This record gives sequence, C-alpha cells and structure tokens, in this order.
Amino acid sequence: MQRRSFARFTLATAALVVAGAFAATPASARDTVKIAFIGPLTGGVSVNGIGGRNSTDLAVRLRNADPKSKYRYELVSLDDECKPNVGVQVATKAASDNSIIAGVTHYCSAVAMGTVDVYHKFGMPVIVWGAVLPEITYGNNHKEIHRVNGTMVNQNEVAAKFMTSQGYRKWAIIHDTTDYGKGHNKYFSEYLTKSGGQILGTFGVTADQQDFTSELTKIKELKPEVIFFGGLTPLGVRIRTQMDKLGVKAQFEGTSGIKSDAFAEGLGKDLAEGSLSFIEGAPWEKLPGGLVFTGKYAQQKYAEAPEAYGPFAFAAANMILDAIEKVGPNRKKVRDELNNAKNVDTIIGKVTFDDHRQNIVPLITKYVVQDGKWVVWEDSEYGKGKRKLMGR
Amino acid sequence: MDLGLLGQYLLNGLMLGMIYAMVAVGFTLFFGVLDVIKFSHGDVLMVGTFAGLATYLGLESVGIDSPWLQLLLVVLVSVSAMAVLGALIAKFLILPLKDAPPLNTLLATLMLGSVLRESVRLFYPNGSNPKPFPRLLPTDEWSLGTLTLRVDNLILLAAGVAAIVGVHLLITRTKLGLAIRAVAQDGETARIMGINFEWIVLLTFGLGSGLAALAGVMNGLYYNETNFGIGLLLGVIGFSAAILGGLGNVYGAILGGFIFAGLQTLGSVALPAVLPSVPSAYKDVFAFTAVIVIMAWKPTGLIAEKSSERV
Amino acid sequence: MSMQNSNSSAAPSWPLLTGVSVVGVYAHFLLHAESQIAVLGLAVGAILLLIAFSRFGWTARVATSAATYPKLLGAGAVAAVVLVAAVSYEMHFALLMLTTVLLYSTVCLGLNIQFGYSGVVNFAGAAFFGIGSYTAAVLASHSPLPHLLIVALAGLVAALLGSLLILPVLRTRGHYAALITIAFGILFKTFLEVNDALGGPQGLKIPGMEILGWKFNDNIAIGDHELSFYLNYLVLSLALCAVTFVLVRRLERSWMGLSMDVVRLDETAAATFGVDIARWKITAFTLGNGLAGMAGAIYGMMTGFVAPNNFTFGDSLILVSIVILGGIGNPWGILPAAAIVLILPEKLQFIQEYRFLLYALLVILILLFRPDGLLPRKIRNYFPGDAGR
Repeated sequence: MQRRSFARFTLATAALVVAGAFAATPASARDTVKIAFIGPLTGGVSVNGIGGRNSTDLAVRLRNADPKSKYRYELVSLDDECKPNVGVQVATKAASDNSIIAGVTHYCSAVAMGTVDVYHKFGMPVIVWGAVLPEITYGNNHKEIHRVNGTMVNQNEVAAKFMTSQGYRKWAIIHDTTDYGKGHNKYFSEYLTKSGGQILGTFGVTADQQDFTSELTKIKELKPEVIFFGGLTPLGVRIRTQMDKLGVKAQFEGTSGIKSDAFAEGLGKDLAEGSLSFIEGAPWEKLPGGLVFTGKYAQQKYAEAPEAYGPFAFAAANMILDAIEKVGPNRKKVRDELNNAKNVDTIIGKVTFDDHRQNIVPLITKYVVQDGKWVVWEDSEYGKGKRKLMGR
Repeated sequence: MDLGLLGQYLLNGLMLGMIYAMVAVGFTLFFGVLDVIKFSHGDVLMVGTFAGLATYLGLESVGIDSPWLQLLLVVLVSVSAMAVLGALIAKFLILPLKDAPPLNTLLATLMLGSVLRESVRLFYPNGSNPKPFPRLLPTDEWSLGTLTLRVDNLILLAAGVAAIVGVHLLITRTKLGLAIRAVAQDGETARIMGINFEWIVLLTFGLGSGLAALAGVMNGLYYNETNFGIGLLLGVIGFSAAILGGLGNVYGAILGGFIFAGLQTLGSVALPAVLPSVPSAYKDVFAFTAVIVIMAWKPTGLIAEKSSERV
Repeated sequence: MSMQNSNSSAAPSWPLLTGVSVVGVYAHFLLHAESQIAVLGLAVGAILLLIAFSRFGWTARVATSAATYPKLLGAGAVAAVVLVAAVSYEMHFALLMLTTVLLYSTVCLGLNIQFGYSGVVNFAGAAFFGIGSYTAAVLASHSPLPHLLIVALAGLVAALLGSLLILPVLRTRGHYAALITIAFGILFKTFLEVNDALGGPQGLKIPGMEILGWKFNDNIAIGDHELSFYLNYLVLSLALCAVTFVLVRRLERSWMGLSMDVVRLDETAAATFGVDIARWKITAFTLGNGLAGMAGAIYGMMTGFVAPNNFTFGDSLILVSIVILGGIGNPWGILPAAAIVLILPEKLQFIQEYRFLLYALLVILILLFRPDGLLPRKIRNYFPGDAGR
C-alpha cells in the first residue's frame, strides 16, 4: 500500500514538472504579439459575444496567414459574462499584462462603463466593438478608449425621423430595463417627440421576462400604429410572437439589438416579415470588404454566426493590427496611432475618431425583414414601394 | 376598461398560472417524498421543450407531417424522455445526497440546472439563439369585441387542467398514489409496510419531471418560441409558487401558481393605473414584495403542512 | 478526554507549518498559472497531493497539530497570505484576485454565522454585499465623510435594510425562509434596474479609497520599485477578514455561539431551556448582513464601479456555495473554498464558453464525494486546547 501511494506521489511530481516545462515553450520565428478580446462568452447574450470573438479571431488568423505581417499575433480572449465586476476583473488581467498590446473590448454597456478607468490606469488602448452607451466615450477623456460602433444617439435620431416620414404618428414603446433598453427608450422618445410622433405608453420589462401578454393587452387597448422595441433578439422574438397571439396589429420596429439572423429564424418567415431595425455604419454586406469577411468567416467553419456586431469586432481588430504593424508593439505608440485615425477603410465603412475617440458614423443603415432575411431598406421591395409596411 | 380586455387579461393570467402550477406541482411532489428541493426542475422543463422540438424536426425530416400525429409524438417523446431524466437525477444525484444537509441538495440541483442549461446552449445546434416552436394546434380565432379567443389557447388550457386533474387522481385514487402518499408521510414506516422506497421515489421524480416536460411543450406551443434560458425563471417562480401554497400539498402548489400569475398580471396592469408615476417594470418588485408579505403572514404557506411541527 | 488531551498537547507543530506552507505555495502557483497545461497540471497535482496526504495519514497529523496550536494556525494563515502578496507585489491581477478572495471570505464568514451557527438561511448575500457597494458609492461621492467611516456605515445600512426582513425570517423556517431571501435578492436587483436615482442599470462610479491623504488607487513607489495599488486594498481587506475571523471564532466558542447552535439544532429544546430564539436569530442575521455590507463597500471602492448586474441571484449562490464547500459552520474551510470558487472559473478562461459547464460539474462532484465540505465542522469542543475530536 505504502509503496503504491508513493509511486503515485512521484507520478504527481513528475506531472507537475512536465507541466512546468510545457508552460515555457519558446515562441516561433516571428515575434509574438498578443492582443485581447473581451466580451460575454457565457450566459444570456453569449451569442453576440461568441460572434465577436470569432470575428476577432478571424482577423488575427488572416493576419497571421499574411506573409507580409511583421509579427505573429496571438489572441487572448476573455469572458466578461456581461457583468461589470467580472469585467473589471478580466480587464485588469488583460491590462496589467504588458505583453498584451491592445484590446477589442465589450459588448455590454454597463461592463464597458466599469472598465474604462481600468484601461486608462494601465494605459492599454482598446477599441469598443459593441457597447452603445454614449457615456463610454463621452463620459470621460481617456485617450485609451476608442469605439468603432456608433452610439444609440445616432441610431435613434435616424429611426425616429425615418418612421415619422413614413407617416406613422402613434407609438407604444417596450424596452428592457438594462442600460441598453433604457438608453434606447430615452433617446428614441426624445427624437420622436421632436419629429412630431406621439408616445401612447412606455413599458419597461426585465431582460429575462417570458410573458408579455399583460403589457401587450394594455398596448392593444392603446391602439398604437407602431411598437418600438428597445432590446435584444431573444426578447424581440418573444414580443413579436405574442403580439400575433393577442392580435395586436401594429408595425414592429426594433433597434440594432434585433438585427440578427436569429431574429428572423426565431420568428419564422411570416411573423418576421416587415420588421424594421436600424444599425450604425455602412451596410457591410454590400461593401467589397464585407463580402470578403463573410466568405472568410464561412471558410473558418465557426459554429456560430458573427451576428450584428461581429463586423465591428473584425474592423476593430484590424485597426489594432494595422497600428501594431506600423508603429510596433508599444502601447503608447499604438494608442497615439489609433487616436489619429482618419478615414480608415474598414468593412464597416470609413472610420474617423472624434476628440473623444468616438467613430463619427455618418451613416445609419435601415434594415427590413423580407422573406426571412434582413435586407437594406433601399434595396428592399418595401423601399421600392412594391410591398407596404403595416398600416400604410 | 371594457369587458373584452378584462377577459383577455383573465385568459392571459390563467394560461400563465397553469404553467406555473404545473411546475409547482413537481416541486411539491419531490418535497413530499424526499423533503428536498430539486432546483433543476425548471431546466428539466426547458430540456423537455427542446426534446419536443428536436422530435418535431426529426419527424419533419422523415416526412411525417400530420400535425396531430406530430403533436402526439412530440408530447410522448418529450414526456417520457424527461421522466427518465428525472428518475436518473433522483437515482444518481438526489438519493446519494439524502443524508447530507438539505442545503447540499439545493446547491447540487442548482448546479445541475446550470449544467443542463449550458449543455443545451453549447450542444444543441445553434442553441444559444431563440428557437421557433412549431404551431401544431389549429389557430382559428374568434374576436368578441376586443377579446381574441384562439382555439390553441383553449386547447392548452384544457390540456393543463386535464394534466393536473390526472395527477391528482393518480395520487388520490390509485395504489401507486397511495404508495407515494405513504412514503411522503413517513418513509421508514412505508418501507416496513413493504413499499419499495427507492422505486417510489424514482417514480415520483419521473412523474414530476414528465409533468414538467408537458408544461414545457405547452409553454412552447403557447409562445411558439423557446430558448435555453426559460428554465431558470420558471424554476424560481415554480419554487415560489410551491412554497407560497405550502410545500407537500398539491392543491397549495396549484393555488400558489395561480396567485403568482395573478400578482404579476395585477402588477403590470393595476400598478400603473393606480400610481401613474410608477412604471410597469416594477411589477416583479411588486410580485416579490407581495410574496414576502404573504410569507410573513402565513409562514408555512397558504395551505400549511399538517405534520410540520414535531413537538 | 483528559488522557487524550495530555497526549496530544505534545503534538509537534511542524505538520501544521508544513501544511500551511504547502497550501500557500500551491495558492501562489495557482494564482500565477497562465497556460492551460500549467492549470491542468496544478489541478491534477492537487488531487494527487490530497490522495497522498490522506494515504500517509498526514491530513490527520496536520489537523491534530492545528487543533493544538490554533493561534499558530491563524498566524500562519495571515503570514501565508502576506507572503503570497509580497511575492506578487507588482502583479495587479493576482493581487486583485487575492483581495477579492479575502472580501468574499469576509462575507462568507458572516453567512457562516447565519447558516452555520444559528441556522438562518440567507440566499440574498449578494444583495447585502451590493447594498454596501451602493452605500459607499453614494456617500463617497456626495459627502465629505472619511472613507473608513463610510465602510462602517455601509455595514450599518446593510444591517438596517436587512432588518426589514427580520419579521418574515423569524416566522419562517428552512425552505420557506429560503424563499424570502431569494425573493428579496431578485427584488433588490430589479429595483435597482428600474430605479434611476441610483444610476439604474448603468450603475455608478465609486471614488477610490483615501485614508488620511493616503490614496489607495495610486501605485506605491519604493525606490525604483513600484508596488501595485491593489496592495493597499489587500492590506485593508486582510485586516477586515482577520478581525472578522477572530470575532467569529470567539463568538463560536462563547456562550453566544453555544446558544446559536442550540437554536439551529432544535428550536423546541432551545425554547424549553429558556434560550431566546428570536434574539439569536436577529443577532446572527444582522451581524452577517453588516459584514457583507462592509466587505461590499471596500470591494466597490476597489473596482471603482457598481451596477445591479453584479448582484444577481447567481452571485448569492456563489457565496452560499463557498460556505457549503468549505464545510458549513467551519470558518477554517471558507478561505480555501473561496479561493477555489473564485479563482477556478478564472483559471478556466482558456476553455472559454465551456467553463461554466465544467465549473458546475466540478461543484456537483465535490458535493457528491465530500458532502460535508472540504473541512467539515468538528463536534463542539468543550475544552479549549483539546486536540481530540
């Protein structure tokens, strides 16, 4: 007995030594440079986080395959669970590790709000790829924080003006009570009132709510022409389905959060038809770079789709990689390089950072579901007048 | 508010209450036989929905497209699969923990819930996205003024009532039910009377989990949508409903389910009407505050356990 | 009993010291393990080490020695933490994790008084932790109060808000009481989300701590070396945790702890012997919530940000699982359990989206194979210094 357990003990020690040896494997010929990706990889919104992770991973792989690149890049991807405390933890992990030069960070706004100070403190340049709260860039003056996606302000201004120009006047608003939904509610209401729309009722719902029948029954009584929904795909699918169930006949208008294939698939062709969404940036599906992106993405056989914000993560990662190629793996230089980005060509259109390092997005793209697919408004049969939105 | 809308609210509330009640009955059955809380119950329901969905997709791919046959098979597969899963959970997780502190079972089953949830998210094809659940029931509707009555909703309500009545009859009128009640009252004595304790426990867990699967399929048919996250909240609410009614009592669980649904509907309808400054998002705050107040008033649930005090 | 006593008081102290050193060295490696293989190697190593320890009977020897020299054990634990911290003085992330472990341990020590001693269940630990963070956020931004006072006030506010629940908690038992705290936890988070006065879902920023002009958020420069600013928080948290630990141990061994044990084990018997059940339950509940509030305040100031999403039902469960995994009622189990529960998921980052699945499976396995936790509570020892069980 004694001898056997001693043998096991030796084995354990040996395993530890081997493990240690492996941990110190030397790098390959080109110098290795690390960049980080941070987003929600587990939990309710993980589908977006994983889409962003894959897109960033794609950017890194393509760059490594490029013989002209000076460095070999390594992606460190971390899970923030969409929780600010975990976000601060992983942000500290990435930012305090000096071998990580820059980061593509955060889908959830509350997490991004919590971590901006961490990046500033440690001087790690990051580009936000999905969080839309304006204060992330405008609430501070940290030179490290950049953002490629637009804020919800731009999105809602266009959304409100567009819808009123279509002749709609009466709205009911449903929003989730996260920062995302509440923010959308705030800005959309503001611009809608300015453009002459009328809000009959506003309903805040929790992000994990299943049943909306009582809210929708109330809405049915109010008889709005449009139901504006500020929130993400899972809730959007539920609300749209239950509208049908209760016989609520109104146009369904969403935000960037529902512009995903999952929305159309989750509803099926008939129910999804005619739903609207607004997203900042040029319609990447139509740009040449966008087609390359979708092609390469398909080649890598990721199990999950890039989702709406994948292209933003891809663009952010490429900007960082370009900067490193140009000025070398030095945080301060990369930061300054990114700060000065003007008219940089990316798959989401030209990127220019303003004095708060926010990408000035000149363009908001309007999407409508046509035959189970999101189609750019101008190209759709709706835009061309062949099909009509509800009530028009 | 006109009568039609009132009817609509009532119908919504009834349907919601029915699903809550079916989940709560499971909690109360498990508590009855083993004095444990199986917190993974809501997630078993979710897995049941996905099992039903997978069955449907399988049937579609082999070309069986009669909705009634599909429905029958979906329900059968889902219910039997979850009954087996429930029994397995009891056998390998809950019975081994029988002598450990009750908190351990609670934590272990909570973790099992996470395992089920994460497994569906990761291993069901594209499982992290919401899935459309097929409309297998006729969707004819009658509009009575502002009230929309749909055949599928009525069928679901009837099915729910039938399921609950069925479980009730099973427990009160059959030999198996007698055995379950005997084990619930006193496991040791039941064993002495020649009842196979372990079998009864496994059967009860199978029964409760099958009921959850049925509730899951009904939930899918009602909302025509499902996702990997539905179990967590339904689990918490089912647990609340079971406790509210009084653990170990089937009537209590049903009552609790309907009360909880009533509180939520009331919270979202009456709250903004009475206090216009309070947004409807406060409805969960309202429902859970009410739960705390009710518990302070009736500490062992509305229908109290008969043998809760051993003096 | 006395025979055993005289025998074991001669037990040597070296097994204890070895045990503490092994745990300390292990913790150090775990904190710094980065590659997948290193983490896996450490996990396998831990299992083999545990098997080896129990096979050779070392576990028992360490336990005997620890029971003989309780003060040495405490000093050893503090020394181990200080040493691990000192070695990683520049490693911000390691220090952040270590401080988090200490703060969560403090909360769990409070929960231990509730669950372990007086038998009051509390599934809203994260809510009280959150109340502490929010109190710190409001007071530190809008009042000139000294920050240490704010930490104390945060504890007070958490205890006060907790007292809203005293009536229902006193009237209910077991699973019924569990529901009350679960309901409170969910209610708390939803309330913060829908209520804009406290920042709503976006949360609030919290200024860093400052005591007598010493800014906690600045790195400490000593000569050419720069020490991580997290060391500040680490020292404060270690102090809070150590004081709490001593308090809890004293409480456990006093007549108060004895009364609480009776209340937990048999309320009827307790009432018969004239023990005031309500009094001890209220004491335990309030004390535990207050500790959670204080730890929450420091945690909030350290991370600089607070939002409702930090305090979900899931976070309360993390706290409860620390208490259970450590061994309900045994404060010694909490520190290692907190380290496992908090650091392990972090170290599993490399398996990305699969890490929660694996983590949940691991917890289930631990519960199945060590149902009483890592370090089960010993039967009450009526003769201080007695080494026997």
